[in-house]
Amino acid sequence: MSATGRVFTFFFQLGQKAKRTKFFFILSLLPVLLGAFLRLQQALTLSRRNMTGLFFYSNVVLPFYVQFLLLMLALFYGTSIVLEEVEGRTLPYLAARPLPRTSIILGKYGSSAALALAMIDVGLVASFLVLNAEQLGDLSLDLVLLRDMTVLDLGLLCYLALFAFLGALLKRAVLFGLLFCFGWENVLIYFPGLTQKLAIAHYLKSLIPQPPSSGFAFLRFNLEPSPPLTAVLVLIILTAVFLAAACLTFSLKEYLFEN
Amino acid sequence: MKAPIQTDKLSKWYGNILGLSEVSLEVRPGITGLLGPNGAGKSTLMKILTGQLRPSLGRAFIWGEKIWNNFRLFNRIGYCPEHDSFYEQTTGWQFLTGLLRLFPFSSAEAAGRAERALATVELLPDKDRLIRGYSRGMRQRLKVAQALAHDPDLLILDEPLNGLDPLGKRRIIRLIKDLKNDNKTVLLSSHVLPEVEALTKDIILIHQGKILASGDIHELRDLIDSHPHIIALRCDRPRELAARLVREPFILKVHLGGQPDSLIVETDNRDRFFSLLPELVMDMGLAVDEITSPDDNLQAVFDYLVGK
Repeated sequence: MSATGRVFTFFFQLGQKAKRTKFFFILSLLPVLLGAFLRLQQALTLSRRNMTGLFFYSNVVLPFYVQFLLLMLALFYGTSIVLEEVEGRTLPYLAARPLPRTSIILGKYGSSAALALAMIDVGLVASFLVLNAEQLGDLSLDLVLLRDMTVLDLGLLCYLALFAFLGALLKRAVLFGLLFCFGWENVLIYFPGLTQKLAIAHYLKSLIPQPPSSGFAFLRFNLEPSPPLTAVLVLIILTAVFLAAACLTFSLKEYLFEN
Repeated sequence: MKAPIQTDKLSKWYGNILGLSEVSLEVRPGITGLLGPNGAGKSTLMKILTGQLRPSLGRAFIWGEKIWNNFRLFNRIGYCPEHDSFYEQTTGWQFLTGLLRLFPFSSAEAAGRAERALATVELLPDKDRLIRGYSRGMRQRLKVAQALAHDPDLLILDEPLNGLDPLGKRRIIRLIKDLKNDNKTVLLSSHVLPEVEALTKDIILIHQGKILASGDIHELRDLIDSHPHIIALRCDRPRELAARLVREPFILKVHLGGQPDSLIVETDNRDRFFSLLPELVMDMGLAVDEITSPDDNLQAVFDYLVGK
């Protein structure tokens, strides 16, 4: 097995036992519970108003994953790739093993990605199934789920690489990451023209059709989407660049423990 | 034969703080003790030797190869870090086999090696307990086990006896001494002179980032023995004992302490003092409650050696 594979296996096993994994797994299932609650309410009140399963999925579940859970998972898993080793002072155990530093980053990135992708995908599929139980045979709906899952996975890999880089570079990466997630990413997408293309969220939203906005709204989100292929390519390139930057930083930087 | 560890004018700064200053040394096979008070630069040197830090100036080599980012070297190096840190959610067994799989050893090979290493440090009965439930001594032994488990040729042990009870210390001392018989190179650090003395006669004295001396520990002992020692006693008749002691040429000063039963003696020959004391106790029929040596620590010795 390659050095990266060995690191991946070790940290994937460690990650499964981590409290953080349990917490985020429960959080990722929150929309499933909400969906089940909605279905129960509909069944009890025989309500057939506008709130269809697909509507709830597109307007509540998917935004929850794209705008919140995806970012949180990527932030906490990504920054911890290096920071948990430095803050936990376990880095010497890895540094004193015959492992290229690049393999440490790539292996840990892979294990974090596997855990986070599992959480996102399981939650998304389960909530979709709960909300659209009657239309399971509908191929167009299955394609919607497949598209959304792919977009979320691409987004997660990209954000995770970015935060892996921030974690390798900065001591207070979580703080900067929070500012980035809920400042930069959320503000820039309201900007017209090219500016919104500076946010990763722009490329994710370009891949998901937006519901038409109606009437007056303050800070209306006016997406000027990039073509799907461009959006996918940009996400892949950004992921590769951030990962390369994380590997380079980790290979060059000395990490001092606070006494 | 080339020394496994060589440094040449090695210096390290942390911003404006000097960690190491022009350290040139050679560590040969066998056990070498790196001795110095806290903050002397021992850990900095060990971190450079294990590729965690880069030298600011100078060079460091292991088996003639540069260390920074030279990961292949670590197939043959075992390192016991100073910090009491682990992947706490694992058991001792999972921790050790997991780290061994990084080498890479097959699952069966890792299990065999982990079992032997845990047996060596007498942790086998506790292998399935979570590390967070281990005592300080058990954690220290586990750190030593992970450094030994892959059977390295060079061991770098940063304060390996720290936090161990006397029995635990004896176990680890015996274990490290056995490594010498296997023709391995061991560099270990400590700030406690008797610990190093129990392990080796080859020492490197480090203080404020500089190598003060290196060589045979007996030479250091001679230096220490010429160092005026302060010895505090508590007995039933301190004035009589003081009157008797001042007659001896190797007693530099005697004064009564703050307590009515205490006496403080300054001598330039500790061995002669300690051979005379039992005679006096017997002859005078003294009841001695306590004998302490307040300055018998490494910091005092170093302060004396550097002329403070």
